[in-house]
Amino acid sequence: MAHLFQVGVGSGGMAVLDLVARDPKVMRVTIVDPDLYKPDNVERHLFPMSMVGQKKVHAASHWFKERRPDLQVEAFDADLLDPAWQKQLEHSIAAADIGICAADNEPAKYQFDAFMRRFAKPWTLGEVLSGGIGGFVHWFVPGGPCYGCVASHLQRAVEVEKPKAPDYSNPGAAVAETRIPASRASIGTIAGLHAVVTLGLVAEASKYNPGFTSMLYTLQTAPDVFPEAFRTFRFRIPRAENCLICRPPEREVASEEIDVALSEALARLGHE
Amino acid sequence: MGLLDTEHGKRRLLTVEIPVIERYNEGRDPEFRIRVAAMCGNIVLRYALKPGHNLYVLETRLLSSYPSVPPETRVITPLKHCPHLLEGQTLCMWRQGSTRVTSRWDPSRFTCVFAVQAAWRWLACYEVWHETGEWPLPEAK
Repeated sequence: MAHLFQVGVGSGGMAVLDLVARDPKVMRVTIVDPDLYKPDNVERHLFPMSMVGQKKVHAASHWFKERRPDLQVEAFDADLLDPAWQKQLEHSIAAADIGICAADNEPAKYQFDAFMRRFAKPWTLGEVLSGGIGGFVHWFVPGGPCYGCVASHLQRAVEVEKPKAPDYSNPGAAVAETRIPASRASIGTIAGLHAVVTLGLVAEASKYNPGFTSMLYTLQTAPDVFPEAFRTFRFRIPRAENCLICRPPEREVASEEIDVALSEALARLGHE
Repeated sequence: MGLLDTEHGKRRLLTVEIPVIERYNEGRDPEFRIRVAAMCGNIVLRYALKPGHNLYVLETRLLSSYPSVPPETRVITPLKHCPHLLEGQTLCMWRQGSTRVTSRWDPSRFTCVFAVQAAWRWLACYEVWHETGEWPLPEAK
């Protein structure tokens, strides 16, 4: 019986959650999203027009009440980065089995990664590239590479191979085509792949291995970026040796010594 | 809840940030060293930079969600209104998804000292802009 913790129930997040939460092994979901469901979301979202004006988490709770009345849904109308919510979110994450990240901004992805590593939970992340030209599905397990390792690795690879390619991962970019939102079909395709990987974890988290850390699936050809549509690229990304997020500390500090060591350091650096 | 209110925040400070600040300060003229203070559970770095002819006093704040969110740097010394300057003399230095590596905050590779160096670069641009009216670095896209 699985308990999922998911951040983001927007067009991508709701599409993946709807697929995963139909599995009878999923008995409980915790969802976090601070956004309102707006008229311009309707085109790409699962929710109907009649839900416009509601908070997305409340609309999602209602969605599941109609489709999976036995599913226990805990909804947080909150920003993952809001300091006021950290304690409550930590409490839910500690109780969850698997994380699903469908956040649309980098700080939230890093924060999600930090939470998942802190509580040693496996998690998945789906990213649809702007314009719907393709998307990524990432899979993370305790002790494996963190989101920082993966993001740095993939960014380096793109820069080395294609220094002048437009950045299709940047929705606010100056290049016009990169601002085109992804279609519901593109979002649905990547969400489907994301759901398949997540369901693999739901079935048997400790033994599941899709054979990649990150998978890129192209949906369209894009000049200087994707020469072919419907092609899969699989990346096995190791932990980065110098990753400031997940590398082992140079020296271990016991919990009870942290406060003393920190106040000594702050006193030292306060009088520089 | 601030950075100093959580064990992981304290660990990041102790194992990553404080050692690099100490390395930055080592052998540096006292006037240009980073001083660190705790404020409402968060960390504030106070320091001075001299990218050209002028001396600027700055403050960099590491907020509760640091390093997931980038540090915020503001210049205490009064500046002329210029490009890339936000409210409260906060420097606009990071842009999510930017194609320029140094304009994209990366918590897996950057520390607060990188933010100090980025502020130095920003101020060097400001000095050029002050003289010529042109910001020497292209906008981060």
